[in-house]
Amino acid sequence: MSYCVNCGVELEASLKACPLCHTPVINPKQIGQPVPPSPYPVNKGQVEVVKRKDLGILLSVVLIATSGTCLLLNLLAFNNSLWSLLVIGICICLFVFTFPAVYYSKTPVYISLLADGVAVAVYLYMIGFLTPSHRWFWQLGLPIVALITAMMEIFTFLARKFPFTVLSGALCLFIEIPVFCVALELFIRHMLLKPMYITWSAVVLTVCTIIDFALFTILVKKRLRNEVRRRLHF
Amino acid sequence: MMTAKKQNNKQTTSQINKPMQKQPGRSRKDVWYKLDLSAIVYPTLQRRDFSSVYRLSVVLKEDIDPAVLQQALDKTLTRFPTYKVTIRKGLFWRYLEPNNRPGPYVREDIKNPCMPMHFKGNNRYLIRVYYYGPRIALEAHHCLGDGTGGMCLLQTLTAVYLGLLGHPITPSGFVLPLNEAPDPGELEDAYMRYATAKVKPPRPAERTYRVRGTKEPFYTLNIIDGVLSVRQVMAVAKRYGATITEYLNAVLLYALLQKQNEEFHIKLRPVRIAMPVNLRRFFPSNTLRNFITMVYPSIDPRLGEYSFEEIVTQVHNYMRYYINDKFLCGDITTNAATQHNLLIRVVPLFIKDLVVKTFYTRVQDKNSSAGLTNMGALKVPEDMKPYIERFDIYMGQPFSSRTNCAIISFEDILTINFASSIIEADVERHFFRKLVQDGIHVKIESNRTQDLL
Repeated sequence: MSYCVNCGVELEASLKACPLCHTPVINPKQIGQPVPPSPYPVNKGQVEVVKRKDLGILLSVVLIATSGTCLLLNLLAFNNSLWSLLVIGICICLFVFTFPAVYYSKTPVYISLLADGVAVAVYLYMIGFLTPSHRWFWQLGLPIVALITAMMEIFTFLARKFPFTVLSGALCLFIEIPVFCVALELFIRHMLLKPMYITWSAVVLTVCTIIDFALFTILVKKRLRNEVRRRLHF
Repeated sequence: MMTAKKQNNKQTTSQINKPMQKQPGRSRKDVWYKLDLSAIVYPTLQRRDFSSVYRLSVVLKEDIDPAVLQQALDKTLTRFPTYKVTIRKGLFWRYLEPNNRPGPYVREDIKNPCMPMHFKGNNRYLIRVYYYGPRIALEAHHCLGDGTGGMCLLQTLTAVYLGLLGHPITPSGFVLPLNEAPDPGELEDAYMRYATAKVKPPRPAERTYRVRGTKEPFYTLNIIDGVLSVRQVMAVAKRYGATITEYLNAVLLYALLQKQNEEFHIKLRPVRIAMPVNLRRFFPSNTLRNFITMVYPSIDPRLGEYSFEEIVTQVHNYMRYYINDKFLCGDITTNAATQHNLLIRVVPLFIKDLVVKTFYTRVQDKNSSAGLTNMGALKVPEDMKPYIERFDIYMGQPFSSRTNCAIISFEDILTINFASSIIEADVERHFFRKLVQDGIHVKIESNRTQDLL
């Protein structure tokens, strides 16, 4: 029988330290004696993963059936263009988007986002078969999808690694918006073979930079932050 | 008075018929139960890392045989139709539906009790039964019922288990007879029968002191149990001129005040405890579903420094003033008003969920600094007593970072069970040190110390 020297409570025989103040238990009479087992289990439990098997089967069947029937219709009946590629592409995109929620919930979020980006890029490439050339895809479609995917990955990384608030989220968003706009304008100019400088995106860049400075100041100054919170509470 | 009673009886009959009991000629698919007034809130608060799950456990004198326990559970659950259910979503409200899937299965106990309970996991059952050494533990989602309902299930399960081992137990008190059909009163929503006050007193809505602490990783519930002698605690409480509940409430308020004083603070906030009151004590009902309401004993340190004796007096007076059938009836009426309101009833469930969750997070959760429940002195059938060592009760994982305290006593053993999901145990330390200072012998058990050294 041991007592905590700080708290004065009797400690259950298996305890090596007082759970209230963390003071180690040193009982000279019990040195070398075997420690009795704890009255509490050692193994941790895990919440059961809910299987969405039925939903997964239903969704797969619907997507495969839609793609298959459209492909057959395209090949056998309405075969003046490759329109079924649009439907098949959408089905592939839906499958990829719903994969983490329905089929495998342990998919890392970064992989899911990357897969979403790849799916959209593939869909755009398939659309390219309905257009005279794939040039728009290589010079505009693919870079935009790649940029948005990269930005979403960065946003997710920041949101997971740092404390996320409405203000910090807004700051991140207002940094990414001008970057996207500038890149978009440059991609368009590059495709249209125009000189590489920015016009309308410069306006977005300026406005967003002002907003960024304001948000950063509010984030850094606690007094301002509380004031904004007070005024905008709902 | 007679008219009111008659009306009550009339209401009871109509309500009992409403949660469609199994009747001759009615298929099983017709049976369903509305959620009771309290139960409406609990599923709304469900998060990936939080469920309103409480735990009751009984420690017997011999190790548990899992096969026999499973047999006992299968037999017992048929007597508790509102516990052998699954929760479903309707357009306007959730409801309970009988669950005929296999299970629930007994399993070996785990280190982190009261872990989240997903509605679609565990074969859609909302209860879990564990065994560990001589302990049988029952975890139930609060939308099924309160501690009294859960205790009936646990004690009946224990009695059936002992019966299967060759120790027949005579049903009485919390142990219900298995050979009788469930009484309609056991399945009713008793709130609606007693929400009869002509005024709706407002709820307290003031921000109170919040316990700050470092959050434990997901799936961790820290437990510290104090085992005390009922006689000793009663003698000390008597010395202060209070009951055991009042005294322990005062000790918890004292511990929270100490914690607030120790911490860095710009301004002090009131310290308030949310304490469920068993309404069956005041309004006759044998329902196994929720029939509790909250009272909030508090101390406002902004008014001045309170000595411990003053805290006890304050709690004592508060309890005497508020815990009576009139005030509690007013409280039930306030709560029931939302369900009576036609405008609220026709709003789709997802909007109700959003509003209730926002209200709970922003107002209700901030309304109290800690939770404390006292199940009181438990009674078991005379022939069951020799097999039982003690009972434990855990209020489960707190919704926000704070600590919950639950008290239960059996014979001369009083157990105080603290459950929290923060690393610091300051409130618990102040609480138990105060008991020791008052001359009470406290024995501490905990699941958290295994990682300390």
